[in-house]
Amino acid sequence: MHSLILLLLAVIALILQTTVVNFIAVNGVKPDLVMFFIIIFGFLRNAGEGAFWGFSAGLLEDLFVGNYIGLNAISKLTAGYLAGLAGSKFYRENRLIAAVVTLLASIAGLVVYYLLLLYLNIFIPFFYAFLRVILPVSIYTACLVPLLYKRFAVFETRRGFYDL
Amino acid sequence: MKRLFFLSILIVFVLVSIRFTSPEKAIPVKENLKDVFLPVQIGLASLGRQVYEWVSAPVLFYRTARHSRELEQEVAELESRITQLTEVKLENERLSRLLGYSQSAAGQYEFITASVVGRDLGSWFGTVTLNKGTNSGIKKDMAVLTPDGLVGRIMFVSDYTSEVLLITDPRSGVSTLIQESRTPGIVEGIAGDSGLVRMIHLPSDALVDEGQTVVTSGLGSIFPKSIPVGRVIAIRRESAGLFKSAELRPFADLNRLEEVLVIKRVLP
Repeated sequence: MHSLILLLLAVIALILQTTVVNFIAVNGVKPDLVMFFIIIFGFLRNAGEGAFWGFSAGLLEDLFVGNYIGLNAISKLTAGYLAGLAGSKFYRENRLIAAVVTLLASIAGLVVYYLLLLYLNIFIPFFYAFLRVILPVSIYTACLVPLLYKRFAVFETRRGFYDL
Repeated sequence: MKRLFFLSILIVFVLVSIRFTSPEKAIPVKENLKDVFLPVQIGLASLGRQVYEWVSAPVLFYRTARHSRELEQEVAELESRITQLTEVKLENERLSRLLGYSQSAAGQYEFITASVVGRDLGSWFGTVTLNKGTNSGIKKDMAVLTPDGLVGRIMFVSDYTSEVLLITDPRSGVSTLIQESRTPGIVEGIAGDSGLVRMIHLPSDALVDEGQTVVTSGLGSIFPKSIPVGRVIAIRRESAGLFKSAELRPFADLNRLEEVLVIKRVLP
């Protein structure tokens, strides 16, 4: 049941990502909702589950897009795994820590994405990739933490899956 | 150890899968799926637009008032320029007829109008989905523009939708030239959401200045000639030293596309 709700959340995040998120873009930069969702989830649970859900949500995203299947799956697996590792080491109740972890895990996930693009012979100079995509998207995604983290954490706690 | 083995197998498998599902080897299932999702996407896109308009209304109102004053002045200036240009145009037509010179003038196209109903999920690629497809006469590689400038070209078509590869996508390349100096170069995308493109392969002695206009060159048979692409905002020297590149801001607002024009054919 819990897995079903998570899957539903991932699908909602995906649908919002294709449509509504474009309207809150600042100078073209938009947050990555699926990335946010799996990082917070990984952070609240553990590295293994973070990686598993990162991979699953990423794969769903890839199937939705329909090409380069696996690109988001690997990128989000990395982010979810790292967020899970951080979760086991840091104090989970602090929103600031959650925001910093989101920022760093998102940067790591997007760097992996960038490397996979190189593997696909899609070349973007690193200077542009980092300053125009990786950093701004990660910062925007981390900015969602103060707004949504508490709600997500409460959802996880109420169901007794994690003692916050 | 067993988990590590499993993970490496998975990653190798996925790496192969990424390669084999690149758009050049498009899967037919995808097109049909897009048609199924179309009504949902249209609904959500209009909902998003309404929320955006509602939230931004006060700011927009203030800006519009200021903007309209500026526009009034501009209109007056432009009207006088139109008169001058009409003169030049008539003269040009007379001289062309004298020389027996015929050229398909820019702007004479047959269009298909389509609405943007979806955008690429991530920030790297720049693609948008249109609400029209093969049934409306859209074909692969048709050029897409707005009245402001070039948008991109059609990458995939299904019966009721089509996907546009924007000029800001890193996979896009457009043969262009600088309008003032006629220096040729290729305009390629940086990343979908960056809102910028780069004009590369400019010889290091080329006369390029900030503020210059870049238009399509008509080479390569996809994009017709003389469609405005963007304005030069910065110039960089390439590390190899032989070339320089220019950063451009596209004329078309690619992050807020709503309606676009697909060129069906160029009128003779």
